[in-house]
Amino acid sequence: MKPISKKARIAVNCSVNGADCSHEVSTSRVLADFLRDDLGLKGTKVSCGRSVCGACTVLIDGAPRAACSAFVFEADGCEIETVEGLEGKQGVPNPLQQAFIRRSAFQCGFCTSGMLMLLWGLLRDNPNPDRAEILRWMSSNTCRCTGYSLIVEAVEEAVREMNRSREAAQ
Amino acid sequence: MNGPLNVIGADAPRSDAHDKTTGRARYTVDFEAPGMLHAMVLRSARSHARLVGVDVREALKLSGVHTVLTGADMADEKMPFYGYFIKDQPILATDRVRYIGDQIAAVAAECQETAAEALRLIRVEYEDLGEAADIETARSDDAPELFPEAPFGIVPQYGKGASAVLRPRRNVCYEFRYTTGSETVFDECAHIFEDEFRFSRMHHLHLEPFVSLCHWHENDEIEIVSSCQNPFPLRKEISRIFAIPENRISVKVPYVGGGFGSKNNCKTEPLALVLSRATGRPVRLCLTAEEGFLTNTQHAAILRLKTGVDADGRIRARRSRIDLDAGAYSDASPLVAEKAGYRITGPYALDHIDTVCACVMTNTAPAGPFRGFGGTQASWAAESQTDMIARRLDMDPYEFRMRNLLDLGQPFVPGESGVDSDLRLGLDVVADAIGYHAPRAPGRGIGLAVGFKDGGGVNKPAQARVKVSTSGDVHLQCGTVELGQGSRTALARIVAEILGCPESRVEFLPIDTRYTPFDQGTNASSGISVMGQAVARAAESVRDQVLEFAERALGAPAETMTLDDWTILKGNESHPLAPMVMLEYGGTGFEFSGDGFHKATNDHDAPLETKCVFWEIGWAGAEVSVDVETGLVRVHKLVVSGDAGRAIHKMVCRGQDEGAALMGLGQALFERMVYDGANLINGNTLSYRVPLAEDLPEVFEAITQEQGHGPGPFGAKGMGEGAMLPVAPAIANAIEDAAGIRLTELPFTPERVLNALSNQQK
Repeated sequence: MKPISKKARIAVNCSVNGADCSHEVSTSRVLADFLRDDLGLKGTKVSCGRSVCGACTVLIDGAPRAACSAFVFEADGCEIETVEGLEGKQGVPNPLQQAFIRRSAFQCGFCTSGMLMLLWGLLRDNPNPDRAEILRWMSSNTCRCTGYSLIVEAVEEAVREMNRSREAAQ
Repeated sequence: MNGPLNVIGADAPRSDAHDKTTGRARYTVDFEAPGMLHAMVLRSARSHARLVGVDVREALKLSGVHTVLTGADMADEKMPFYGYFIKDQPILATDRVRYIGDQIAAVAAECQETAAEALRLIRVEYEDLGEAADIETARSDDAPELFPEAPFGIVPQYGKGASAVLRPRRNVCYEFRYTTGSETVFDECAHIFEDEFRFSRMHHLHLEPFVSLCHWHENDEIEIVSSCQNPFPLRKEISRIFAIPENRISVKVPYVGGGFGSKNNCKTEPLALVLSRATGRPVRLCLTAEEGFLTNTQHAAILRLKTGVDADGRIRARRSRIDLDAGAYSDASPLVAEKAGYRITGPYALDHIDTVCACVMTNTAPAGPFRGFGGTQASWAAESQTDMIARRLDMDPYEFRMRNLLDLGQPFVPGESGVDSDLRLGLDVVADAIGYHAPRAPGRGIGLAVGFKDGGGVNKPAQARVKVSTSGDVHLQCGTVELGQGSRTALARIVAEILGCPESRVEFLPIDTRYTPFDQGTNASSGISVMGQAVARAAESVRDQVLEFAERALGAPAETMTLDDWTILKGNESHPLAPMVMLEYGGTGFEFSGDGFHKATNDHDAPLETKCVFWEIGWAGAEVSVDVETGLVRVHKLVVSGDAGRAIHKMVCRGQDEGAALMGLGQALFERMVYDGANLINGNTLSYRVPLAEDLPEVFEAITQEQGHGPGPFGAKGMGEGAMLPVAPAIANAIEDAAGIRLTELPFTPERVLNALSNQQK
């Protein structure tokens, strides 16, 4: 089999925050660069570039993924969600964002987009995580400022709020 | 400032909450410019070597490469070196490299990939000079000398008892000394204790990398967007290096993604600027996380303490000899030495102090400012020894501290300001919260410590401007950088409280050194205690001008009226200001503008030339157990407390202390840069272990005290560093309480714990 040149281009069809997106990119194009530089979605941050710190976490088909270490072609046919998509069409922050705002669950903010996407992924996976599960998920991302406690509290608060809205809706 | 407070202390979200939780917050890393080139740096693979040749010809031929620069291209610069007191760090290495990671050449190219490819085409020939990789080797008589010739350096003016010298001996670039009282005090001491402590070294690991976007325009105007903590000192340094007037330099600083001290002074900027000048294009230089480890670090240290205690159990005298590992360039090391040396007594009043703190140059990454700024090293040694002494004297460490702590208002050395926290009250807060006085659970031990540092910087001026436009929209201009500490919120709240308006009315304007009033930098926990006072004065000036205007317009004495949400209240009448202003100044209106300034008065009787602005205290209590089979230390409970004086935003204060405490916990248990000789073996995020959410102690509490004695607005004072200081010694003290072993070297790895346990059995 002939190796594909890293300069070769490939068509990628995916959806980004609910909007269809067709692009031709080089086979070596990294997802984080694609989102930030080609689509202008600067909310996704890159820090370590080695899929360790999680600052670049986005959701691909609902699962958290380090965008710094994913190729764009891997997302072909997938749904990508970034921090810009969390607010919803009316520009209202989602319950997790609101809890982050109320609890001051951020400081410098550089890990926040990734932390939000990771934890939104958690709440998708399990709408009622206990503290141990929250800590386990959170430990895949690094926050250097907060000492994590206020973030844990924000997730717990978001869970309570979302349960309350679900009950109210029934 | 009497009466109930409306905005100060309120639970409303931080002003940057929406930006930062929706991805809208813009950082330097997000900035682009038309025609922008991407830069990369070729770094030394050798720890200490003469540069025989750097061949960039092949790299220059690569398509997409605009320029490749080496030290030889710096020959025409007047002063191509930077540093704080000592200008020893070259923009690019000229004759020699001094550590693995030293900057040898730089490429500016159309894209990052091309720049990376160009780096691989550069050939470097070295001739090794032998290495001095640690403090002890570097201080030995036969160590290779990093700087055979003296770089340009200064010693600032010091006050009573303090002094410093440049290059007192081989590989020591600066030595600070502080003495007070007579050596004979040791003769009055019934007990003398000598101990040695070792402090390991961390990297800041700020998540936003070192990054700047620099443009050297054709007309020699310089434009810099940088992730930096001190835009004005950076401007001054750039002006000095390139002989460009400061009024032709613009340094802009948006949100900064973490600093912890690392983003003071020149980092990427001089190199990005020479690349921009050579190409005529804006140049973005964004270092990788791995390069971050090689750019700035904390100071490893060896601290030797000799402490005299009298028959009554009072600490009377201390002689300390401290060596800081400064790395290959001086950076802020002389200033850190000053502080580590000065703070070595801890929060106790001694009759005799003799402290010498040296900056030892080694062939490792340059060390610089790091949260705690020498105070972490000093507190580690001092508060460990405090416990050791208490136990040797068969005293309870809590009682021993209570007996010796400074009283509220008491200066710790002659000529200083009095300590502005009740230290015993604070110690009781953490002792009670951790359950110090209750019987220990089986296998558990509890330790306490009190961290102590002078806060607010030395001789630090700050200026601020507040403007209110016709419609009552408030503009706040000052140079305090939002690094995450909540400065935009806190300073806006001070203005809102004084002007009687909602916080949302106050906009913190973007920082640009051409328009923003002068400030010395966002460091030393000075935002509230120093800049806060300048901001308060600016707001008070505007308020007074508005009331004087109302006096003229309404014919009532200013002091009988109040300003309330851009309305003048006069008796039971309310007069909206907008129409009044337009009536006087015409339809386009007017802008009320007030300036504020603050600086501690110069005072030669104070050891550091100004009395300390405020005292930053961190109290900690830790409960641990030690697994005697594996050597693993588990911190079950960690309680820290800081004194905010007055909390301007309670959640932000709590977050500052929790973040500081967890950084301290990491330092105590596992986080450190590991060198094999001069080779950093864990200089990447995968192998460098930082605290994660799973590392949180089962009980983790930060208690914000509001003792009300701070010099800042509404009794506030600075915080954010204090809670880091006492954590490692509190854990060491708890380990002795639990297992009877004393660890004097950080971090407390299982191996060290097991060694200590086996030595104990011998």
